[in-house]
Amino acid sequence: MVVLNMQPLAVGQVMKQSESILDIKDLTVSRSGKVVLNKVDLAVKKGEFIGLVGPNGSGKSTLLLAILGVLKAQQGTIDIYGHKPMSRNILGKIGWVSQAAAVMPKNVRITVRELIQLGTLNSRNMFLRRRSIHREKVDRAMEMVGLEGVGDHDIARLSGGQRQRAVIGRALASEAEFILLDEPLVGIDRNSRNSLLKLLDKLCHDENKTILMVSHDLAAIRQTAHRMIYLEESIRFDGPTQEFPDLTSLAGLRGIEPVHGHEHETNISNSIMIETDNAELSKKEEE
Amino acid sequence: MGIGMMILDLVSPILEFIAPMVPGDTFPYFFTMEMFQRALVAAILVTMVAGVLGSFLLIRNLALIGDGLAHVSFGGVAVGVVLGASSPLWYALVFSVISAIIIHEMQTRELLTGDASIAIFLTGMLALGLVVLRVFGGGITSDIEGYLFGSLLLIDEQSLDLIATITILSLISLMALYSGLLSTTIDPLAARVQGLPVRAIGLVFSIITAAVVVSMVQVIGALLVTALLVTPAATAQLVGRSFRSCLIWTQIFGLSAVFLGLYFSAEHDSGSGAMIALVAASLFAIVAIFKTVVLGLMSPKDNF
Repeated sequence: MVVLNMQPLAVGQVMKQSESILDIKDLTVSRSGKVVLNKVDLAVKKGEFIGLVGPNGSGKSTLLLAILGVLKAQQGTIDIYGHKPMSRNILGKIGWVSQAAAVMPKNVRITVRELIQLGTLNSRNMFLRRRSIHREKVDRAMEMVGLEGVGDHDIARLSGGQRQRAVIGRALASEAEFILLDEPLVGIDRNSRNSLLKLLDKLCHDENKTILMVSHDLAAIRQTAHRMIYLEESIRFDGPTQEFPDLTSLAGLRGIEPVHGHEHETNISNSIMIETDNAELSKKEEE
Repeated sequence: MGIGMMILDLVSPILEFIAPMVPGDTFPYFFTMEMFQRALVAAILVTMVAGVLGSFLLIRNLALIGDGLAHVSFGGVAVGVVLGASSPLWYALVFSVISAIIIHEMQTRELLTGDASIAIFLTGMLALGLVVLRVFGGGITSDIEGYLFGSLLLIDEQSLDLIATITILSLISLMALYSGLLSTTIDPLAARVQGLPVRAIGLVFSIITAAVVVSMVQVIGALLVTALLVTPAATAQLVGRSFRSCLIWTQIFGLSAVFLGLYFSAEHDSGSGAMIALVAASLFAIVAIFKTVVLGLMSPKDNF
């Protein structure tokens, strides 16, 4: 009876405000006999912008593939919008943005519009498609990624940054709410990188998209993400970006002992400073 | 009466109407004599579907699968001939489709990487055909040669019906699968996340490829199938800007190759299949040279 005295309305409001869209519990995934993810727990709320970092082979891509439902978990559960991954009920809610530099074939003659149109495709409308219904979605997606002027351009002739935008546009055309990005900053010059980050930031704030982005570029991801996750087989850090440790403490998280003592440490912090400076500089250049 | 003969009945008055305007001494017979009309209709149908299929093969990096399946078809034809079949194309169809399914499964299950599975089927089935012909049949007769290099004389009413049925069904399926194929080719993972049946689409595509290749064997020959399957599509890639425009350009180059090839072969009495392949390759060379020269002279700044 005491329970009834709680304020259900307030609880409801809180629930709505921080609606959880992804709930991973105790996830363990092995690939070719090797444990890649070990007991990962992760919850993502609507509207978050999460940066997922970690060294090569630390399980970042594996985690993304498990969330997408392409890889099966040996143990643990993944709950996405209240369903299992790849369930029919969540089709179209999740947008996958692959690394354009690696995935987009360069020998294909396909225009930006043709690529973004593919985003509107699903198993129901695959065979019979009436273009007019989707035109609005495609136009809006092209506008959001700022490619409305180059709709008829061949993808192969775009710059790396524009090509990545086109791939993001494809995900947006499906009206996905939760967007997963795999290393979108690879092969992109610094100016395009900054405007790409601004685009993602805008998608998160203005369009209320939830974003989970994997990147090697620590400086860049810290500029934009609200929350950082450091993954190396298991989650070693998960918290607000401003609390994300500098590289020395990160080495501690990974259990790496400094080799050169103090000297090494200053080198690292110098290199971070240079990277951040560069990022800020190019930001100013752009403005 | 099958669908092929129905189409022939429909277009035959049109062909006869065009005939007086057609140049050459022998070439006009393609428009007036039923035997040659059959060949012409089969060639046009096959070229159209080969162009659409080839455009997809090219972007899927599967340019050589046509060649592989054509050799498999030859093995099937040989077995059919030895068993005394009236229409060995049916044997070719069964061999080709089964091989295509196995090759597709081997590739998706990553049992063998890249083209290795195609290479094994290509040589294995060609060898089967040759051995079977030597041991049980009369070796390489002129009929058998017709299947290797293409022979319009082989296209009887039964063949035309089979060719027309295959090409029309394939064309309809390719058009229905158009977006799905493009999507799964360009980014298979994204397609899967969108809920598209990526594997099923790949499998259906393999079966269509196998069937289309069989329909091409009599027209252009098992050894020359790639000339109509890949060359026009590759030429189109030099000209087109979008996938859609590439499809249209492929038809233009493919049909030009067929008409010019048939014309030259009729006038000079060379093999039709070889001449079509030669014209297709020449068209590619001309467009490639023209493009390089024009791009080099006109817009060096655009040519990065």
